[in-house]
Amino acid sequence: MAKQTLYERLGLPRDASLEEIRHAYRQLVLRLHPDTNLNPGETELFIDIQHAYEYLADPEKKEDYDQTLPADQDVETPISHKFYYSQPSLVRMDEPQVIYALLELRMHPDTSLLISSTPLNISLVVDCSTSMQGTRLDTVKLTAIDLVRQLRPQDVFSLVKFNDWAELLIPPGSRSDIKSTEMKIQLLQAGGGTEIFKGLEMGFSQVSQSLARDRVNHIILITDGRTYGDELSCEKLADQSSAMGIGISALGIGNQWNDKFLDRITSKTGGMCRYVSDISQMRNSLLSEITRLGSCLTEPINYSYQIPSNVELRSTFRLQPDPSPLVFGSPLIFGNMPRFGSMKILVEFLIKDIPAKTASFTLAKGFMNYEIPRHAVQTHYVQRLIFERPITRAVIKEEPSIEILNAVKLFSLYHLQDRASEAMGKGDVNAATRHMEILATHLVNKGEQDFAESVMEEIAYMKRNQTFSEDGEKRIKYGTRALLLPAKTAERKS
Amino acid sequence: MIVCPKCGNKEIPGTLFCSECGTQFATASRDPTLTIPSNLADQLREPYPEGEDHEIPPTPEDANLSLFLVDTGDVIPLEGLPEYTIGRSAEDQPLLPDIDLAPYNGYEFGVSRLHASIKISPPNALLTDFGSANGTELNGQKISPNQPYPITHGDIFTLGKMKIQLLVNRSGS
Repeated sequence: MAKQTLYERLGLPRDASLEEIRHAYRQLVLRLHPDTNLNPGETELFIDIQHAYEYLADPEKKEDYDQTLPADQDVETPISHKFYYSQPSLVRMDEPQVIYALLELRMHPDTSLLISSTPLNISLVVDCSTSMQGTRLDTVKLTAIDLVRQLRPQDVFSLVKFNDWAELLIPPGSRSDIKSTEMKIQLLQAGGGTEIFKGLEMGFSQVSQSLARDRVNHIILITDGRTYGDELSCEKLADQSSAMGIGISALGIGNQWNDKFLDRITSKTGGMCRYVSDISQMRNSLLSEITRLGSCLTEPINYSYQIPSNVELRSTFRLQPDPSPLVFGSPLIFGNMPRFGSMKILVEFLIKDIPAKTASFTLAKGFMNYEIPRHAVQTHYVQRLIFERPITRAVIKEEPSIEILNAVKLFSLYHLQDRASEAMGKGDVNAATRHMEILATHLVNKGEQDFAESVMEEIAYMKRNQTFSEDGEKRIKYGTRALLLPAKTAERKS
Repeated sequence: MIVCPKCGNKEIPGTLFCSECGTQFATASRDPTLTIPSNLADQLREPYPEGEDHEIPPTPEDANLSLFLVDTGDVIPLEGLPEYTIGRSAEDQPLLPDIDLAPYNGYEFGVSRLHASIKISPPNALLTDFGSANGTELNGQKISPNQPYPITHGDIFTLGKMKIQLLVNRSGS
């Protein structure tokens, strides 16, 4: 591998501002400080980073250093990006305004073909609490055995079971004896509570043990229940995972699990949360999650950014390939980039006021960091991404492109369901019902007859019982999310 | 502030869809789903048979588009929205059509609860049937569900058995 520049060492583009240098350094310190870090070899990394920072944070030293670097070549990046905006310009006005941006990322086809399917480093974390007893756990066992049989020699797999505590059933890498592995899975038994943190923590330590940049490092949590009191620890663990490039996905079985909590944990790491309404879908959900991970680049793509004080992010949502809300904050974790196809991120900005005497306005300035595993030229890339728009006095009458209009339309349908949940949470059943009614009307309008029927059934239930039915809220939430899937979109076009 | 023409909800300028009722504030410049073979479109544009002559009432001054209910003589102006859903409200159902034909005996005429939509897409309007129970005819020809058909001034479409004529106020546009 070519010698890293000091910029690359900090994961920064060559034109990084002082502010960006400081920010990147702080992030790395949090992750690598010897006091908080136990992984061997990372103390040296920490010293390297310190050294890089000392140079780049000092304007004089930085200038001297910049002179020694070869001229920045305009290399074609392996991932191309394209912006679509809801308006051609921002307009000078005395009140706040909103603008939507759709970011489309696509891998260069030549690069896609160069990378073969990615090896996995997966820990399956299985809830074995009392409620899993019977068909649920039996199905999970069978699926896990199927999964073990499908693994390739280059994959690393571990299995953690948890209830009130966690137990390492299959340690990572030891796949020499498939028969005994299968036997161990067969013997899993249900009983006890649901301490999700204990399970996640053990899964995390398995994945981080075998952490490798040319593998997809990922935790898959399977649960049917709620965890109590350890939610904050789980969130912290998710942040830590994310900083190390470890993703977390979750499969929630039935109606009792906490979708808001698991959505949050998984989005923090760029993973996704799937709703397994019926245990018969377990196999399909788990195996498609594995397929998804195997067809992605190794590390989730992240975007480090800064926004001016007069701008606010109102929403960030990944529309493709796996629809999921994204958790605010820099870096924003976009998630796993598919080798083929595109990734689409929808961002909604609120601009509170526009500074005088400027012709153009920066909504967010930052850069993406990503890894192209086993790529001949270079493996790590830092790519500038700036969201900006010109400023005009009057509104430019130009209708938004179909791409952004469709994206925002589907997102606003998803949002209606959010508003219904919110209203119900406040005890306003009427408002909740009204939002569901509007959703149903729009669904019929879109030709989604079956789903509309299902929403209407839910509305009837809400009117009778003044609350959501047991599975109604999740069914509609993940149902509207599924509308955003590329397959669905393509189907509708034809 | 922008005010939703449908529900009166206030939104920040730049918003594309009303967060309260999902109404679209801007229309797309082109419709990607419009795939009507030209010969079929020509057939559709054939004038309505002369035999069934009736008097076309004047369009209301303030509306660019309106619907004339041939059987009852009522005129419903279409104002403020880029798209209208047409149907019939009922006690026990949650769907909310923009144009409710229940007061005009929609049930007896065989209008579905959410029957069709009219989308304003200059220079014409687009009529889409939602897979309704009794179907939709345009100038005497049955149209396929979930596919937009262009309609212009004077065209007559039939929801179930209810005849409706589209009126365009030329002076307005």
